[in-house]
Order: sequence, then structure tokens, then C-alpha cells
Amino acid sequence: MSHLLPFMLCLAGFAGLAFAMDRQQRNVIGRPLKAAATYVLRVVGACVLLCALGLLVTWNGWGLALVIFSGHTSLAAGLVYCGLLAYVKMDAR
Amino acid sequence: MMHSVADEDEPRLTGRGIRQSMSQLHTWAGLLLGWILYAMFLTGTVSYFKDELSQWMRPELAYQAQVPDQAAVAQRIADEFSRSIPGSSQWSMKLPDARNNSVYAFWRTGPRTPGSRGGFGEGYFDPATGQKVTARDTLGGDFFYRFHFQFHYMPVVWARWLAGAAAMFMLVAIISGVITHKKIFIDFFTFRWGKGQRSWLDAHNALSVFGLPFHFMITYTGLVTLMALYMPWGERVAFQTAAERQQYAAELSAFIAPGRPAGVGAPLASIEDMVRQAQDRWGRDNAGRVTAVNPGDATARVAVTRGDAGRISMSPQSMEFEGPSGRLLRVRESVGAAAETRGVLYGLHLGRFSDIVTRWLYFLVSFMGTAMVGTGLVMWTVKRRQKLPNPDHPHVGFRAVERLNVAGIAGLSIAMAAFLWANRLLPQSLAGRADWEIHVFFIAWALTLAHAFVRRPKAAWVEQLWAAAAMLALLPVLNAATTSRPLWHSLTQGDWVFVAVDLMCGALAVIHATLAIRTARRQPARKAARKPSSSPAAATASRQEGT
Repeated sequence: MSHLLPFMLCLAGFAGLAFAMDRQQRNVIGRPLKAAATYVLRVVGACVLLCALGLLVTWNGWGLALVIFSGHTSLAAGLVYCGLLAYVKMDAR
Repeated sequence: MMHSVADEDEPRLTGRGIRQSMSQLHTWAGLLLGWILYAMFLTGTVSYFKDELSQWMRPELAYQAQVPDQAAVAQRIADEFSRSIPGSSQWSMKLPDARNNSVYAFWRTGPRTPGSRGGFGEGYFDPATGQKVTARDTLGGDFFYRFHFQFHYMPVVWARWLAGAAAMFMLVAIISGVITHKKIFIDFFTFRWGKGQRSWLDAHNALSVFGLPFHFMITYTGLVTLMALYMPWGERVAFQTAAERQQYAAELSAFIAPGRPAGVGAPLASIEDMVRQAQDRWGRDNAGRVTAVNPGDATARVAVTRGDAGRISMSPQSMEFEGPSGRLLRVRESVGAAAETRGVLYGLHLGRFSDIVTRWLYFLVSFMGTAMVGTGLVMWTVKRRQKLPNPDHPHVGFRAVERLNVAGIAGLSIAMAAFLWANRLLPQSLAGRADWEIHVFFIAWALTLAHAFVRRPKAAWVEQLWAAAAMLALLPVLNAATTSRPLWHSLTQGDWVFVAVDLMCGALAVIHATLAIRTARRQPARKAARKPSSSPAAATASRQEGT
């Protein structure tokens, strides 16, 4: 459990950050979101990532937390990226 | 690693900006030792599971469902040593833990005499019986681990210098890549399908950027692990007397220098009690190594070191005991700030502190790093193909890179799979069996290189990727046919080490097969698109053949 929640938070955080980007908004919903919505997504995405780090630090201390957080963020960003790729690919068919 | 396509597509500006300079530096630093870097990355990645791979490669050793009591095991092995190597001046055993189902030990044979350090012996022991195990002779996962930083068939020091040079090139490639990649945040989640060079670039960027903290950390800390070799001068100036050097060594390892024996016999006190004290201090399964110097002599000393689990540092922590009485002499749990900095950086590189999930994270992100180097190597040819005057007859340098890519990337997969096949197929009675497993690795790799030079690049890629896929996919079948531990047996027994290796082979086979299919489907460049030049669209169409 000490990995699952922070990892899910990282996944959600990166999903938020990805949808705060013009290119992804066009790819997924066909048009850009309003500036305010984009801003909110960006702030919430970043905050959720920080929450994940906060949890890891609380549970594991700074040293181990930073290592695990680095792994979680790398993998979560990669999964969001693969998800977007799959979506765009399916959408094109 | 991370070039900007815009830099390539736009006409060159007069004067060279920092980005163009860095782009070139990145390209050449990445290419020159790129194949060595790829091999270091892949074997290093696999090494995160070297202990598990070693278990798989010694199928005669039973699966260890629970870690045996380390204190009892230590006593059992020590008793065996007192019988089998009575005159030894030093022995050291690595206790079994959650990842190791055997005890690895080494020892000096015979006493140290002036002018002679005595010979060395080593072996694996069964924790349950204390007897030397009769498993097949193999280096196990340690071969990939050692290859990762000292290769093979060459003097260790030269090899480590070569590994250091490659790591330094990698560090340069990472830093120059970050400077070159001007849209690191804007392009963070960008991938453009079917756009030839752009697609390769996007994949390369994603693999690089997502794992950037890891890639930087692993390269830098890799250099730190061998810093005493690469930069010995500070230490030479600072530590000049024997006492200073000994104190320095003590900051880096728990090794006890054997003193002069008194020549008065005195049996060792209970090793079990000593390890029990270490367990009380560090946790039941968290004693690492037990080392004895001058065992059987009145001057005997025993050190029990702490295991690696849960602490990001390789700095030694140990309890030292007087051998004959078993009295605790001292406990060392900290080192100086400089030594601890080194210990933490070293620990970060090896990742031995990891729980199983963190270990998988290490593996996966390191695998991304391997793919980053691989995509970078392939992109070198993809980018240049469009500029060739005649792509059917590229110049010799291009041809060499193209073929080295095939053997360096697809060929290495075949060689590594061949190593595992050799582990299952070589007869147990073969003299120098462990060495022959390694010879098979290199013979297979050499054959893939020859094949890459004989065949056309695209055919070579497809054939080698299929060969790797087949060898990996059939490995669980071979395991089932040659051992009594097939996948279904492992599943019912809860033997997760064997299950994981079998399933990983399957997953890697799927990756290789997918790459083979995609490469085979790729259309060769159209002749009309070959005009040198002019239109980026035409150039894009001509890039793909052979990659």
C-alpha cells in the first residue's frame, strides 16, 4: 500500500498536467480548453504530485522518499504518455 | 539524445549557437561509445535482479519460501569451515536473505606468511545443511553485473577505465541533450505517429525526459563507484602512512585486516550468539556478512555487518567481536561526512536497499534508459539516411554504424538469451563450465555481428529480432524440459523467482517480436524521394529503410 496511493496520485497529477497542454486538449477533445480551466488543471496536477511526495516523505523519510518518488513519477509520466498515444491511435481509426 | 528537429529542418543560421554546438556534441558523444553504453545499460538493468537470476541459473537449489534463521545458518557454515579449512587465516560468508537462497563464501587457504598472502577459495553453501552445494557451475546473474562495469577478456583495470570513459561520455550526452532540447516542457507529452525521424525523436525524448533524474543519477553515481580508480590523487596525498590508509579503508568497508596470529590455539566462541546480537540490533533478516580473521587462534576477530535492506548507503556498519570469548569489542554505525556522501551515492547506484516494488521501478526506468540509448543510436542513421547522395550505397562509416546497431542492440539480446540457454544445455561435467557459458555469450554475439555485416540492414534487423524473440519465448519451454521446475510447478509452489523469470522471458519475447513485425512492415524508401534535398516532405519519406 505504501506504493499504490502515491503512484496513483502521480498518475493523476501527470494526467492533469498533460491535459493542461494545448496539443493534448486538441488531440483528445478536439479543441483547446479555456485558459482558466487549463490553469486549474496545471495547479491541481502539480499539487497532486506534491501530495504524493508528501505522503512518501511521511512514510519513508526524505532519502527513500525521493528515490521512490523519482521512480513513481518516471513510470507515471510514461504511462500517461502511452495512454495518450493509444487514445490518439484509436481515435484515428 | 534530444535533438531539435527544427534545428535540422531550418536553414542553418550563420554563426553557431550554443544549441547547435551542443547538438553536435550530443550526437557524437552518444554515438562513439554508444554500443558500449547500450550494453552497459542493458546488463546493468538486468543486474537489479542478479540475485534472482542467479537462483534461476542454479535450479538445483530449492526455492526458499522463508528466510532461514541467519544466526543458525552462520553457525552451521562456521562449523563446516572449522572442519574443511582448519588452517585458514580468514573466511567470510554472505548470509542468506530474502533474495539469496545460498551462502556465498570465500576464504584464504592456509596461513599468511611473510611474502605470501596464501591462496583463495570460494563456494556456495546450502543454508539448511551447511554443506557445499552441488549446483551447476555458473557465474549466474553476477556475469551481467560484472560485465556491466568490467566487461570480459580484458584486464580489469583497463575495462573499468573504458567503462568510466563511456560513463563520462554518457554524462556529456545527457547534459548536452538537455541543452539541445529546447522544448523540454512544451513537448513533454508529444508523440507524432508515422512521421519517421520526428517519431524516433519523440520516442527518444520521452524515454530521456521521463527518466531524466534516474539517467543523470545512475551515470554520475556510476562514476562515483569507481572514483578511487579514476581520481586517486587526493587519497594519495591525504593518506600517506599505513595507519592513515587503514583508517581510510575502514571508512569504506567493514574489512578487518588480519593481524599476526599468536600461534596459540583457541576455538571461536558461538558465531550464532554474535549474529543474534546483530539481529537484535538490525532486524531478523538483516545481518549481511560474517567475517572471521585468524579463526582458531587466540587473536581471532569476527565482524558481523549490517545488510543492505532499507538504508540508502553502502557505508559499512558492523559489530566486531573478540573471537575466542565472543565479547563485543565495538559497534560501527557511522562514518565521516565525506565517506557517507560516497556511501549514499554508491548505494543509490546499486539500489540494494530497495523493496521489491522499488526494485521494479529501478528496473523499468533503467530499461527506459536502455531504450533511450538504443533509439539514439538508431536515430543517428535515420537522420543521416536522407542526406546520403545514394542511399543504396552509403559510405563506409554509415554502413558500419548501421550494422553495429543491429549487432549491438538486437545481437546483444540474442547473446544474453544464448547465455541463459547455455546455462540449461551445457553438460554439468564440462570442465570450466561457468567459463563456457560466458564463451557462448560472446560466440553468439560475434555471430550476430557477422550476420549483420553479411545481410542487408533491414533483413538483419528483422532476422535478429525474430531470433531473439524465439530464443526468449522458448526459454521457459527449455527450462521445463531440462529442470524439474517448469512454470506450472513454480506457480503451484509459489516459487515467484522462477515464475517471474519465465514470464519476463515471455514479455521480452513479445517486445522483440513486435519490433520485428514493425521493422518488417516498414516500406523501403521510394526512389523518387531520394533527390538530395530540397523538400522536407520528400526527405521524411526516405528515412526508414533498414531501421
